[in-house]
Amino acid sequence: MPMSHEMPRSADRDEPHRLGALGPRVVRVAGGIGIAALLASVVLGSLQPDGIERLSRTYLVSFSYVLSLALGALFFVILQHLTRSGWSVVLRRLAETFAATLCWLAILFIPVALSVRSLYGWTQPAADDALLAWKQPYLNLPFFYVRAAVYLVLWAALARFFHSRSTRQDGSGEPALTLSMERWSAPAMILYAFSVTFAAFDWFMSTDAHWFSTIYGVYYFAGSVMGFLALMALAAIALRRAGRLTRSITIDHYHDVGKLLFGFMCFWAYIAFSQYMLIWYANIPEETAWLVVRQSGPWGSLVIVLSVGHFVLPFFGLMSRSAKRRTTVLGLWAAWLLVMHWVDLYWLLMPRWSGEHIPFGVIDVTCLIGLVGVFIAAAARVAARHPLLCVGDPRLAESIALENA
Amino acid sequence: MTGTMSTAVIEEFDNTGVAPRQRAPLVLGEHDLASVTEAVCRVVERPKPPRAWYIAFAVSSAVTGMLFAMIGYLFLVGVGVWGVNNPVSWGWAIVNFVFWVGIGHAGTLISAILFLFRQRWRNSINRFAEAMTIFAVMCAGIFPAIHVGRVWVAYWLFPIPNQMQMWPNFRSPLIWDVFAVNTYMLVSLVFWYVGLIPDLATLRDRATTRIRQIAYGLAALGWRGSQRHWHRYEVAYLLLAALATPLVISVHSVVSFDFAVAQLPGWHTTIFPPYFVAGAIFSGCAMVVTLIVPARQWFGLRELVTRRHLENLTKVILATGSIVGYAYAIEFFTAWYSGNAYELFTFVNRALGPYAWAYWIMITCNVLVPQLFWFKRCRTNLVIMFIISILVNVGMWFERFVIVTTSLSRDFLPSSWDYYSPTWVDILTFIGSFGLFFTMFLLFIRYLPMVAMAEVKTLMPQAHGHGGKGGDHA
Repeated sequence: MPMSHEMPRSADRDEPHRLGALGPRVVRVAGGIGIAALLASVVLGSLQPDGIERLSRTYLVSFSYVLSLALGALFFVILQHLTRSGWSVVLRRLAETFAATLCWLAILFIPVALSVRSLYGWTQPAADDALLAWKQPYLNLPFFYVRAAVYLVLWAALARFFHSRSTRQDGSGEPALTLSMERWSAPAMILYAFSVTFAAFDWFMSTDAHWFSTIYGVYYFAGSVMGFLALMALAAIALRRAGRLTRSITIDHYHDVGKLLFGFMCFWAYIAFSQYMLIWYANIPEETAWLVVRQSGPWGSLVIVLSVGHFVLPFFGLMSRSAKRRTTVLGLWAAWLLVMHWVDLYWLLMPRWSGEHIPFGVIDVTCLIGLVGVFIAAAARVAARHPLLCVGDPRLAESIALENA
Repeated sequence: MTGTMSTAVIEEFDNTGVAPRQRAPLVLGEHDLASVTEAVCRVVERPKPPRAWYIAFAVSSAVTGMLFAMIGYLFLVGVGVWGVNNPVSWGWAIVNFVFWVGIGHAGTLISAILFLFRQRWRNSINRFAEAMTIFAVMCAGIFPAIHVGRVWVAYWLFPIPNQMQMWPNFRSPLIWDVFAVNTYMLVSLVFWYVGLIPDLATLRDRATTRIRQIAYGLAALGWRGSQRHWHRYEVAYLLLAALATPLVISVHSVVSFDFAVAQLPGWHTTIFPPYFVAGAIFSGCAMVVTLIVPARQWFGLRELVTRRHLENLTKVILATGSIVGYAYAIEFFTAWYSGNAYELFTFVNRALGPYAWAYWIMITCNVLVPQLFWFKRCRTNLVIMFIISILVNVGMWFERFVIVTTSLSRDFLPSSWDYYSPTWVDILTFIGSFGLFFTMFLLFIRYLPMVAMAEVKTLMPQAHGHGGKGGDHA
């Protein structure tokens, strides 16, 4: 009986599976636009009174955005090894590449680290603020920086671990590398879960240091994975348009990514509903204060936008089989959800500082473009050095042969 | 799994290997399609079950009788026969309800969610797990129903139009629970039944007595196994899996709402819904291991439910157990971080107060013991996994006990604090519910195919002309 035949190791040798000249071009263009936009944001910021504070806040929003995409990628990589996944091998390098930007994101964290005073009220607590005094053993600057360093180093190390082993396998095809990645994926997942949770608490939840929600880490995680899946769909489509990986990534892989995207979009809605409903229902002032700002005035309209745009529309839009199997339709929904994911983070963080009104302006856009540009450039830089496909993965053939019933 | 796969009629062939280039076989031994049918049907078709079955059935139905005696006593005298008191108005009944509903999660997780994730190893255990789910939900449903006090008006739980214009409070999660659990029960039942149809037809075709022929024939709904039947069957199955998936998550989320919408410290926390769902799957998969380890041994199904299946289940237990551990940690951290004196008190009280013994049983069984599953030896050793699976359910029962009791027994007003202890009626009712569960299970094993024959056959190389699709996941 039967065991499955040995699987052939290599993919279609003729298929272009390197970025080639495209790599440096993307790095130049995206990096150039990104840095220009970041500079423009600084100029815009310094033109206004309090403009630098304003900039630091929108920077945190967009930093949380690109960080979430990279963390979503890291989760995807760890999960594929944890489940010994076969179908996803042709996509895994994309995820490894985006995860590998985490060491660059550590540099992008520096502006956040420098503007803690305008971001985190707990750095200058009022003398009579007993609550902040209570939290002081956790929310104090030295410990904050130590924790931030731990998270950033840990993520960079995890991403590097999986990326370097996988690229080493490109040449050798050594199955032992797969086994070692599988073996470490379980502890990696545990480290990932706690580090992402506490980073979300520290960097995002503590902007409103009086408030707390146990599900906050899961909320950030849910959006992150959804955002990354949308990004991966778009990246694969872009590569296909550019004539790369045209045969390895088949329509069945898009279909599967679409299913996961749909699933995590629903998961986000489930987590968002759980948080909202439980706070609303219990109606305890120390918790509702956070929601009141976010659901009154123009922010309240944003809640409707998020409910509809981040859940209801894509729920119906992505449900059908044909939507997930047409790259144009899938790509449009992916792009839409990436926008919604940013809106979600904006809604999550910005009301703390702006109060009743939505301060949306040019500086938000330039700062977002800046960070996304640098992020893409970093990813392209990593991608250019290696094949776009895990060509040495023992399960590559299994992945290429994927067929959705 | 470096050795050859071709001669595997060894006792307990080890298919838990990890070689990445090939997928492990999921059906061992010299099985062909006919022998799989034979192996599964044999159990059901024996003219008489073994003596052990009669003994087990006698014991479990006696215990079920005790359950109904306790319920009768409760109806005659009132809820006062339980240990519930003024602050702790939810005692063992609600603990048992959440415990059983939780166990009822594994079946649909395995049959629906793992199906959508193309985890093909589920094919050999889904029937079994779904049956377990249905019986567990039956046990669960009893407890809130008999807890309502005036049981003769329990039908008020349903929004039945009436001349009094009286409706349940739709804003109460307790009524959402009625809907959630009933919907889940219904969909699980339909899912289970749809999956059974081809196998019922097999039993019909093999029937040697008129009664069996008629009974299985009616249940098989005229299944002939035509191409068209299979096509529609597979579409229906996929749709049901897609519908059942959000239901699995919704049921225990709604159960968690029963607690989390309240303002009571220890109950009100936003992580409750996903945390409860993870805990439910944790306990459900543990119950599957508890039942299937002896069952595969007794009924000669070791080649269909292999070590690899069991190892995969232990990994699900470890993963969901880790999520539960994560939730405990985040809850405890936030109890401190929130700066809320009541919240912090509740958590310190849980760990050090009068119920500390229950809390530490919970931590030991749910967080510490499953760590053994990091070791492959524990994931593949039947005795160890059997013991751990039981401990996990002990721990999960205590988790619900800790949540229900500690928060209620010491709330905001110290003058109303009280200690809760169960009465003999509480204890015997809970034990009785196991009687009902096992009675149903024994009937299931006796009259229905315990392994989904049709689905297992898709795992075999014979089902795939081109070979290579016979292994663990796609």
